Amino acid sequence: MSGSKPDILWSPHHVDRYVICDSELSLYRIGSIGSAEAKAGTLPLSEETAATLLAINSDTPYMKCVAWYPKHEPECLLAVGQANGRVVLTSLGQSPNSKCKELMGKEFVPKHARQCNTLAWNPWDSNWLAAGLDKHRADFSVLIWDISSKYAPDISLPMEKIRLSSGDTDSGLVVTKPLYELGQNDACLSLCWLPRDQKLLLAGMHRNLAIFDLRNTSQKTFVNTKAIQGVTVDPHFHERVASFFEGQVAIWDLRKFEKPVLTLTEQPKPLTKVAWCPTRTGLLATLTRDSNVIRLYDMQHAPTPIGDETEPTIIERSVQPCSDNSVISSFAWHPSAQNRMVVVSPNRAMTDFTVFERISLAWGSTTSLMWACGRHLYECAEDGGQGGSAEKDRDIATKMRQRAQNGYGHDTAQVWRNHLLAGGDDPQLKSLWYTLHFMKQYTEDLEQKQQGSKQSLIYSGIKNIVRSSSGTTENRRCWRGSDRQTDVARYHSEERSLALQLCGWIGRGPEVDVEPFLKTLEQEGEWERAAAVALFNLDIRRAIQILNKGASSEKGDLNLNVVAMALSGYTDEKNSLWREMCSTLRLPLKKPYLCVMFAFLTSEPGAYDGVLYESSVAVRDRVAFACMFLNDTQLPRYIDKLTNEMKEAGNLEGILLTGLTKDGVDLMESYVDRTGDVQTASFCMLMGSPGEVVKDTRVQCWIENYRNLLDAWRFWHKRAEFDIHRSKLDPSSKPLAQVFVSCNFCGKSISYSCSAMPHQGRGFSQYGVSGSPTKSKVTSCPGCRKPLPRCALCLMNMGTPVSSCPGSGKIDEKVDLTRDKKLAQFNNWFTWCHNCRHGGHAGHMLSWFRDHSECPVSACTCKCMQLDTTGNLVPSDSS
Amino acid sequence: MELHILEHSLKVASIAKEGIQICTHGLIKLAFLSSKTRCKFFSLTETPEDYTIIVDEDGFKELPQSEYLSVAEATWLALNVVSGGGSATSSQPIGVTKIAKSVIAPLADHNISVFMLSTYQTDFILVRERDLPMVMHTLSSEFTLLRVVNGETVAANSTGVTNGFVKPKLVPRPIIHPLSSPSNMFCVTSLDPDTLPSVATLLMDVMFYSGGVKESAASGDDSGHIRFFSFSLIEGYISLVMDEQTTRRFPNNVLFTSASGELWKMVRIGGQPLGFDECGIVAQISEPLATADIPAYYISTFKFDHALVPEENIQSVIGALRTNESAGH
Repeated sequence: MSGSKPDILWSPHHVDRYVICDSELSLYRIGSIGSAEAKAGTLPLSEETAATLLAINSDTPYMKCVAWYPKHEPECLLAVGQANGRVVLTSLGQSPNSKCKELMGKEFVPKHARQCNTLAWNPWDSNWLAAGLDKHRADFSVLIWDISSKYAPDISLPMEKIRLSSGDTDSGLVVTKPLYELGQNDACLSLCWLPRDQKLLLAGMHRNLAIFDLRNTSQKTFVNTKAIQGVTVDPHFHERVASFFEGQVAIWDLRKFEKPVLTLTEQPKPLTKVAWCPTRTGLLATLTRDSNVIRLYDMQHAPTPIGDETEPTIIERSVQPCSDNSVISSFAWHPSAQNRMVVVSPNRAMTDFTVFERISLAWGSTTSLMWACGRHLYECAEDGGQGGSAEKDRDIATKMRQRAQNGYGHDTAQVWRNHLLAGGDDPQLKSLWYTLHFMKQYTEDLEQKQQGSKQSLIYSGIKNIVRSSSGTTENRRCWRGSDRQTDVARYHSEERSLALQLCGWIGRGPEVDVEPFLKTLEQEGEWERAAAVALFNLDIRRAIQILNKGASSEKGDLNLNVVAMALSGYTDEKNSLWREMCSTLRLPLKKPYLCVMFAFLTSEPGAYDGVLYESSVAVRDRVAFACMFLNDTQLPRYIDKLTNEMKEAGNLEGILLTGLTKDGVDLMESYVDRTGDVQTASFCMLMGSPGEVVKDTRVQCWIENYRNLLDAWRFWHKRAEFDIHRSKLDPSSKPLAQVFVSCNFCGKSISYSCSAMPHQGRGFSQYGVSGSPTKSKVTSCPGCRKPLPRCALCLMNMGTPVSSCPGSGKIDEKVDLTRDKKLAQFNNWFTWCHNCRHGGHAGHMLSWFRDHSECPVSACTCKCMQLDTTGNLVPSDSS
Repeated sequence: MELHILEHSLKVASIAKEGIQICTHGLIKLAFLSSKTRCKFFSLTETPEDYTIIVDEDGFKELPQSEYLSVAEATWLALNVVSGGGSATSSQPIGVTKIAKSVIAPLADHNISVFMLSTYQTDFILVRERDLPMVMHTLSSEFTLLRVVNGETVAANSTGVTNGFVKPKLVPRPIIHPLSSPSNMFCVTSLDPDTLPSVATLLMDVMFYSGGVKESAASGDDSGHIRFFSFSLIEGYISLVMDEQTTRRFPNNVLFTSASGELWKMVRIGGQPLGFDECGIVAQISEPLATADIPAYYISTFKFDHALVPEENIQSVIGALRTNESAGH
């Protein structure tokens, strides 16, 4: 410290004061820039803080070390250790105070002069000051001075030999007799008092670390090591001590003092300071010579004591406090402000700096995000704005959660309704669920007709259907309501009409009438689409009629009339003005269906790219169109191309083409990649997919992820519903029974005993735990006939129904499964604490622990319910 | 008690007075520019006869080969006694006196030649490297033997060479060399290494140039006056031995002075150069001092040995030693 390198010390009690010491002592006060601005001569330390120089003390030359008096009063009392081993008490910027005045200038002089390396005030008895000195062949290196002691000539020393400079002796300010002398013929490099006891002192000696116990000075505990500099006790963990040697820090556990519990990565340059953060557990700051960074070691999560076998987790990082990269001479943690320190550079430039705590971040299971920084916790939740557009922009997790609550995916009767449960605002989902709806319908039809021989074909999607197409007939029909022959070829086959059915254009059965479909579209106000479908069915009159109707409807677009007019002028004359104008003017049309109508009318037969590649037209309409107007070579090529496009885009409309096949999984994969919607993927793939598709690892992964999501949201009931749903659609997923109740006496499973006697027709219902409550009471083990345990509350043997259940019998159970009844069934089940092994009927236990925390069995103090941590969680889905 | 066997391999050399100028470059580097060398152990003692240098192998490379430089052929190891327990009895004898009975006498009994170097901080007992097994065997009963390896102390195991060692018979050790006591008084002191540069020129003057006119004038005044100066820099610690007049040339507060301000007088041992093979010389001196409980420093040089005793004790020391001397004859 002497000479050029300034050191810094915080006042232990006045959090705004610190001392810089190099050749002299300078007391500074730190304050915010605003308050300090008025005064001249303040030094800015950071953007917010500045320091004011309060006092300078240059009374003590040859300073080697300084220690600040640990008590509140007198406030600025400092002990200075000098190069000749003397310790001087001095003070800074203080109003003359009687107690302090008495101590000021007091000197503690060792018998033999040598450098004083370190000073440490005893934290309990602040009169005790330990000084660590260099080696002398005939003297001690650790001297403990009592600052309150008066000058007393050492009787053991011959009086005539004391040649003190004149003036010292008469003032009574020189003390030569230490309270304790330790470490003979040794050197002391560093010292600290152990918080464990007032009389324990840890010292870094010449080649060992020693613990001196002042209660018995002839004994010392010591360990040979090189790491003897800068011993310092972790203020948060009193058994943990850091010391260093050259570039290496050793961490000691005083309970296992034989060797360091760990050593930190060695630095290339020698260390100059090591300090525990006083405001944060397990944070150690180290500084090496001529460095511009402070290295931090975070051992907060390192286990204590650190075992031999475990690799401690220490997070190491560096901070650079000075913005101009200047070298740091020393630093000091602020005693109370969190992670704050002031660093000082060799030219005495000071910087106020706060070590930014590492941020740990955690996503909630819902859309909330939490992060912790230092002692602050921040939460970020999604804005619950209910605006229509906001609804659409919401995170998929929010959407899935909402949808799960609505029972999305569970409507297996009216499959298309699932898109309404999903919110009804996603065209892709709408298309998907309609497709699945149609697929299901036709499966059922076919099952009735052909006992499921073609089932797989249906679920294969249109791509596979048209590939197997055969016996296509081609005809040229007239425009309906006109006898004009078209040169448009239309193709028919069984598969093509099946495809049209899947597209929803025509209903089931042999009918190929699109009129019901047109009516539906009209009802939904999709005038342009209806008109286009009518036109594609070569009914130009119906198309015009639809457009007129659309124009005259509420909120109708009058332009539709204009379109109708244009449409009515259709001519098949190749070179007519109408054709020419329509083919060019259709392009700026904003409504895609109007655009494709004119494209159809103006295109050459067999070349319908204007319709087929109009991407804003629904896939199913384009596919239906293709099925009508493309020949057997064009059609598969188009379908393949479209399928690949859909797969690449992850567009759910493409499920119509792929079906629930491997192709469909590919498509769903890119959909999930794009959206993260594992919910739709799970439900969709469970819908009648062939076994090997459901077994696809991707599908299983979506399903598991969805189940985990439901669990994470605490939607346990929804999860259970999903599992039931899943086991219905995919029986192989049904889990095997994993828990059995065994009899206390014979050790056999009581349910096993039941199943072993299937012909007696006794299932779980005997025990009142499933199905409807029965009158039959089985209170003994079916294996050995010994009684089952009694309920701790009602004292009845288990297996007895809890009564008071309306005995409605087995009439139409499915409809009658009310909530109360379901609960009643559970109430009969038995439950017990795994700790005290007391238990009883689940219903009784539930109501008992609603009001009590201890076990119902008298004299048992087990806090059963608190032990069950998951039991305290509440599901967030109410049903 | 612990006996530390330090890791320095030491050479003991003598530089003739007239040849000192050849070596000054190296000596200045070793004494004042320690950061420029890897030397950890350096001691220079000036006597009227010569300069004695004790230096480790790294430091020895700094010295030139010269006819003026004579080197003792052996490699020496330094031993250092550390009182293990923090015993608080301050009346313990210090210095050579403390170890006279425990180290020096047993080594003398086993015919092991020692070379002593006392400093402000501690006492080093130099033994020949080849004698080490014998030393360890001799001292293992009294001491915990520790060897310093890379700055870390590890237990040194005695190599079990007990065979062939005969139990020596304890004989009285008469003083066989002539003694003399110069008139000047000496200070054993040290200084803060940080302040070394500020007094470097003064030290150089004392080391290399004071043997000139002023000294001869002084010796003319007082025939009992001796030219003696010792400087050592060992493991970062500086130790100085100089006479009282020389200390007055230093600025105030640079030299460490003890609270008691003690001064020492010298007993010089030997009329003819002592050589390195004779053993028991240190023991002859230190045992009577230990018996009388008189603290002492002991500095061996290439030709003679020097013991420093408190000034007030000099008469009783001389008396005690003379008694021993006459008893020997």
